[in-house]
Amino acid sequence: MEEGKKLILVADDDKDLVMALSIRLRAAGYGVVGAHDGEEAYSVAQENKPDLIILDVRMPAGGGFSSIDRMKHSLTTRNIPVIFLTAFDDDDMREEAVRLGAAGFFRKPFDDDDFMAAISKVLGI
Amino acid sequence: MKVYKVAYLGSDSEAALAFEFALSKAGMRFVSATGDQSGVKKALEFNADIVLWDLDNNPQGKPIPLEQIRKAGLVKQPVAVVVSPDNVDGAIQSLAAGAVDFIYKQVRDDPLPRIVAALNVGQKQRRIDWCNRVIEDTNKQLHGILSTLKDPAYGVSPEYQILYMNRAAEEIFGEGLRGGACFHMFYDRTEPCEICDKSKGPARWRAVLKNGKSYRFISALIRNEKGEVEKIAVGTDVTPDEEVRKIHKTFISNVSHDLRTPLAAIDQYVNIMMDGLAGELTDEQRQCLDVIKRSSFRLGNIVENLIDASNILSGHFKLKTQVATVQEILDIVLDRLQSQAVDKGITLQVQVPDDLPLVYADKARMAQVIANIAGNSIKFTEQGMIQIRAGFMPRDGGRVIISVEDTGIGIPKEDLGKIFELFYRVENDNVYVEEGAGLGLAISREIARAHGGTLWTESLEGMGSAFHIALPIHEGQQATR
Repeated sequence: MEEGKKLILVADDDKDLVMALSIRLRAAGYGVVGAHDGEEAYSVAQENKPDLIILDVRMPAGGGFSSIDRMKHSLTTRNIPVIFLTAFDDDDMREEAVRLGAAGFFRKPFDDDDFMAAISKVLGI
Repeated sequence: MKVYKVAYLGSDSEAALAFEFALSKAGMRFVSATGDQSGVKKALEFNADIVLWDLDNNPQGKPIPLEQIRKAGLVKQPVAVVVSPDNVDGAIQSLAAGAVDFIYKQVRDDPLPRIVAALNVGQKQRRIDWCNRVIEDTNKQLHGILSTLKDPAYGVSPEYQILYMNRAAEEIFGEGLRGGACFHMFYDRTEPCEICDKSKGPARWRAVLKNGKSYRFISALIRNEKGEVEKIAVGTDVTPDEEVRKIHKTFISNVSHDLRTPLAAIDQYVNIMMDGLAGELTDEQRQCLDVIKRSSFRLGNIVENLIDASNILSGHFKLKTQVATVQEILDIVLDRLQSQAVDKGITLQVQVPDDLPLVYADKARMAQVIANIAGNSIKFTEQGMIQIRAGFMPRDGGRVIISVEDTGIGIPKEDLGKIFELFYRVENDNVYVEEGAGLGLAISREIARAHGGTLWTESLEGMGSAFHIALPIHEGQQATR
């Protein structure tokens, strides 16, 4: 990874979406690592210590909520901000995300500009 | 021609002779018998079409014992009394008791016209009696059926007065409401409900009743034995039960998730290509992507509307209300529609007075309603302008009225009452517009109602339409006006 680049972990079981976000984020100058289930998201986060994690709420092997819970209990990953992505439109889900310490919550399909703006804001850029 | 049979029951031989003479001349058959059980039996065997009952059979001033005559078997024959001119009381009382006519003694004049008239009256009366009996029986049966229903049922007069309630209706609304006004007792309104006010005939409506459950009502008009019209309404409980509700919620949640996921992917990749992140594009490629993007946007809208409609119908519909200004709401609307209006060359004008009271509303939902209506206006207006105006109306504790007026094609009169129905679409061969699912206005009205408000329209075909939303103002605001 190039020095100075912020690293973002994108975890979604929809591989097409991970690829799309990677293209967009890389074009915006970020480094990107991907994961496709909860378990993988946790281990990739432990290994790479990204600056931001984008988590799908529903994934195999531990969805976004259980992943964030594990990450917040790990010294390595506890301070990494998490933005949730989901195609569900559920107020309870949004509230749960906030309770678990999410830095953002986006519903698919989402507006690219809003999404990129939220990322910059969370990363303090 | 039918040969009529006439029976005289009495012991006045002079009268009997006079009748026989007159009737045989007219080709009628005649029998004379005593004014007692045996006489009645004889008349019955004779199969008389009319009975002439001599009041001399009865004590002075008494009416004919019609009940006894009927009981003895002469159930359908009209009875005319034969009476002395001094027994006027008897004659009058007999008419009151059911005699069709009276004939004075001495029977000197030709009694034939009187008898024929009595026969006619009798026949007519018999038909009416029979019809009334059928109506009475039918109504009794109907009320019998209604009373056994587990669904609430009630009957009201054309003046909205409650005439009848079955047990189930009493359990919901309470007892002792007969005579009260249905719209007041049942629906807590001060005026007749729109549906009954507009349609005097059979109708269908939905209502949430005092027990908190949703009912679908069907009403029909019936005529009672007194000839009065009654409206009978029967409601069916359409409240989804908890289990079904849960299954429905999970189903909708999963289906919407699975519909949105590929839409999100389409969106992402189209944007990547349009932003040039996958290489330079030719003009043709860009045009193609434009179409994909527009189509995906439309599809997304339909999906969201369907999910919305489904949530509204199943009762999973929660407002996130807060104190808001109308201007804030309209800003969201303008942000969404301005470019659409500009593309079509239509002016979108907004007028909001500065001193308009605050409303208590779900801003996003209210913006959705106004954007839906104004979006339709843009769709159906080829030139001219669309005006969104807001104003204050002091009635009903103070309301803010937001009106969207256009100079578009208008709505045909026959469609005006139906446009808020789910899946209803106005068919118009002369105007091409993008397909809609007929959900927007139905959803909009539900959202307005959930706010305690109303949404209505007025339109002239070819001239334009106006939609008005009335919203209750935020409490405590009224005093400042």
